[in-house]
Amino acid sequence: MTESHAHSPVTEEFIAEWRNASYSCFSSGHKFCREVCPVMQVTRNESWTPTAFHANVVAMEQGELTVEEVAEDYVNCTQCGACELRCPNTLFTGDFYRFRTRTVDLVKQMRTLAVDNGVHQPGYRRWNMLTDERTHEPVLGEVPVSQEHVRDWSAGLDLPIGGETILFVDCEAAFYRTSVPRAVAQILQRAGYEFGLMREQWCCGGPAAEMGYRDQARRFAEHNLADWRASGVRRVLVLDPHDYITFTEDYPNFFGDDYDIEIVLVIELLAGLIEDGTLRPEIPVERTITYHDPCRLNKRKGIWQEPRQILRSIPGLTFHDVDHVTQWSYCSGGGGGLPVEKPELTAKISASRLDQAAKLDVDTLVSACPWSERPLSEAGDARSVDVVDIHELLAESLGIEVGGSRGGGGGV
Amino acid sequence: MTLAPELSDRVLGELVDALGGEYVLTSKVARMNRARVPAPFPVHRWRERIPDLVVMPGSTAEVAEVLRVAHAHRIPIVPRDGGTGLTDGAVPERRGIVVDVKRMNDIREIDPVNRTCTVGVGINMLKLNEELAPYGLIYPDDPASYPCSLVGGRTGTSGWSLIGSRYGHSRDLVLSFEFVLPTGRVIRVGDGGGAKVSKSSSGYQLKHLFMGHQGTLGIATEATLKLYPKPEAELSPFWAFPDYEAAYRCVQQLAHAGIATFAGAVLFDEWKVAYLRRDDEAYIPQPADVRALVCAVAYGHEDEVRAGGRRLMRIARDAGARYLGDEISQGDWAARHDRYATPLHGRTKSGQVAPMSWHCEDAAINYTELPQVRLEWHGIVERLRERFDVFDDWGMFCYTSADTGVDYLTEIDVGIWEQNLDDDAWAAWVDAKRDIAEVALRYGGSISACHGSCREGEVDLVPMELGGGYDVMLAVKRAIDPHNIMNPGKYGLDRAYTSGGDV
Ligand SMILES: Cc1cc2nc3c(=O)[nH]c(=O)nc-3n(C[C@H](O)[C@H](O)[C@H](O)COP(=O)(O)OP(=O)(O)OC[C@H]3O[C@@H](n4cnc5c(N)ncnc54)[C@H](O)[C@@H]3O)c2cc1C
Ligand code: SF4
Ligand code: SF4
Repeated sequence: MTESHAHSPVTEEFIAEWRNASYSCFSSGHKFCREVCPVMQVTRNESWTPTAFHANVVAMEQGELTVEEVAEDYVNCTQCGACELRCPNTLFTGDFYRFRTRTVDLVKQMRTLAVDNGVHQPGYRRWNMLTDERTHEPVLGEVPVSQEHVRDWSAGLDLPIGGETILFVDCEAAFYRTSVPRAVAQILQRAGYEFGLMREQWCCGGPAAEMGYRDQARRFAEHNLADWRASGVRRVLVLDPHDYITFTEDYPNFFGDDYDIEIVLVIELLAGLIEDGTLRPEIPVERTITYHDPCRLNKRKGIWQEPRQILRSIPGLTFHDVDHVTQWSYCSGGGGGLPVEKPELTAKISASRLDQAAKLDVDTLVSACPWSERPLSEAGDARSVDVVDIHELLAESLGIEVGGSRGGGGGV
Repeated sequence: MTLAPELSDRVLGELVDALGGEYVLTSKVARMNRARVPAPFPVHRWRERIPDLVVMPGSTAEVAEVLRVAHAHRIPIVPRDGGTGLTDGAVPERRGIVVDVKRMNDIREIDPVNRTCTVGVGINMLKLNEELAPYGLIYPDDPASYPCSLVGGRTGTSGWSLIGSRYGHSRDLVLSFEFVLPTGRVIRVGDGGGAKVSKSSSGYQLKHLFMGHQGTLGIATEATLKLYPKPEAELSPFWAFPDYEAAYRCVQQLAHAGIATFAGAVLFDEWKVAYLRRDDEAYIPQPADVRALVCAVAYGHEDEVRAGGRRLMRIARDAGARYLGDEISQGDWAARHDRYATPLHGRTKSGQVAPMSWHCEDAAINYTELPQVRLEWHGIVERLRERFDVFDDWGMFCYTSADTGVDYLTEIDVGIWEQNLDDDAWAAWVDAKRDIAEVALRYGGSISACHGSCREGEVDLVPMELGGGYDVMLAVKRAIDPHNIMNPGKYGLDRAYTSGGDV
């Protein structure tokens, strides 16, 4: 060990914490994870692979690299989780001991360490500053984002505020793809499922956490939890897979045992309502589709059956399915802050996802994640493949006039 | 950034002009991550291996331009593809420029009629086979590193395939390739001149020469590959034995059976079984009287595999084997084949669990010599372990290399506690590697069946293995690479420029 770099105390602490976990990847180094990584697929750059992310920690321990030197590389990850699933270390010991190679967590924590050391990525910093100012993510493009507008998407739906069960709508859906929350809300109304909207909803804080702005993420989480508590919320419905991760992973980390809010994924709820006959999709939707497994459902949460159950219940669809394991290597590129710093990579990843869809001779790619739908739609336009949200499709089959926008200015 | 003196701004400028700035990587992070392969090494010496620069060319023309620049300025070049090689081939010994060819991963042609495809060398076999599936075809180069090694590295190492007894190994499956010589000149090498020819008697057989050279002669950029029908059926029976001798006899009877769908057989020795039982979470525990295992694999059409499988089963039963059942057979083959890994730990002498890395020493050994080689190898690792408590014997596998059972890829897996690997332990390990290689040669084998023999220790014995052939190697090296820019330091080829090499 040389003394070439003196790390800051937080960095030393980080290295001590990650040393062995990173070693178990470094010493394996077999790179079974590499070809499923969406960033690797489009860049072929070995610096931006899971094993490099772990090896850098080992190099830091050896005094060879600093957080300043490595920080920028960690931008190149959508936190999709594919590498963890494909890692033989996860597969093996995972079967028996639930061991998981923790690359997503490492990327998140390394980004946090960078911020803690005052190392910022310009795009991330701006994004989080604007989020802080507006209490909502800036959302790419010309979209008015502010507290006054957060419920605009629900115009005319007559939704109550508060109640035991509320629907949480992520920023991208609330301000950009408003057709998604409109579809969800109207399907739930049709089912007679009681719910309201949040009193003062702020961004969930997940994106800030993903980009390393942990203190900000925590402040937002505290606001939301306090608001839920104050208005007697017991249950939060989530339509966005990213929020689902935030509420089921970040919030419990922040609040520990105190956190007693039930989190319900709308997809799972709807699959249940279809199964028990409450919802009967009857209007045929004549489309030839394939389904895009959102990373945060399929790879990170193991949820891939329910969306397929919903799709199979819709009459008229011709469904060319691609199994969820094959889809470990698919991604939209929209997650983990990648489009904020590297929009060109997001576009390439989406384009290659659409190439896979186009090979199946489909006219429609169905997703279940609003954050994926913008880049996928852009890539779909170039290939004449329509990108539709699963909730939009279900609403159509239930005869619901959804309204809203599938992109662009938030109005109805 | 610190560039070596010879890498002046001018060189950097020429490379940026040729490739675009995005693909000339100077950051220390980028360089460190290309100074490493999975084989364990003393991590405190990582810095000794770091290249000055990394380039990521996107075409043969760009590779040629990089080599022209390097040739003109006498700069060391290290080709790198998947970086999964286990003999440090892709690790720079003299700094210089790492030429990372992973961007060249396109499929340029699929010719279903002649059953070939032509690809950039940065493509991975699993990914390629996903694209070939709709044609009902596969490219059956199937190492345990199938999901991660790439076609260029398979060429650079002349790799060994798990199902090679049925389909052949990389050298049989790569029909021809485009190759950039150290001067920047581009040639096509194959069996004769035609890109899709599998057997030629025209001229010298250069294909073999330009495979397995570990990047010391030039850089392959595009390869034309031989394709097979995608097998309908895969059979992988596992059998248990009470002792090694019975298993040893059985494995050769399986190999001798002459079954057309036979793709390979594997023998696990007592050390391997004990280790799996002790530390491998994926191993499905067997009763204590199971001391050795054999598995055979057959690939092909359903009806053929079924018939061949019945014969294999009968042979094994007659040899005293106990069949472990379908579930274990499929699960174990998946563990060894589809997701090759070893546990993340071994044991110290006192039995304490320690995080250890996997190292595989491989050799090509004739069937008749396997039992003796096995005992001597285990003896070497045991003596090593007595002196340094960072090594653990993880047992041996022997795999048929050919359909007749003539020779076996023989490997001993050694756990190394890399975090505690100091200079003394490393020096002892290098000695042990040399001893392991010496045993292989004493029994008439070859130092490596699969990975190559470039690493410290074993590499010292390569001249002894090849005899006069090594002198030819020196002469060839000097003729093709007059300034020793291609992966200098590897295989002791520096000698070509001082003494020797006269044939
Ligand atoms: C878990 C695991 C299992 C393995 N199992 C097997 C196995 O069953 N069979 C087997 O054969 N190997 C096996 N290996 C070793 C390794 O995968 C092979 O040696 C493989 O061929 C290396 O390919 P690569 O693309 O990673 O090449 P690299 O490691 O990048 O390079 C290997 C060598 O080839 C040279 N090279 C790379 N690209 C080119 C090029 N375009 N032109 C010229 N030279 C080039 C490099 O300089 C280097 O010397 C295994 C490795 C691991 C980690
Ligand atoms: S993440 Fe897993 S598969 Fe990838 S290099 Fe590390 S240990 Fe190997
Ligand atoms: S989480 Fe996804 S994007 Fe990030 S390194 Fe793993 S596979 Fe790549």
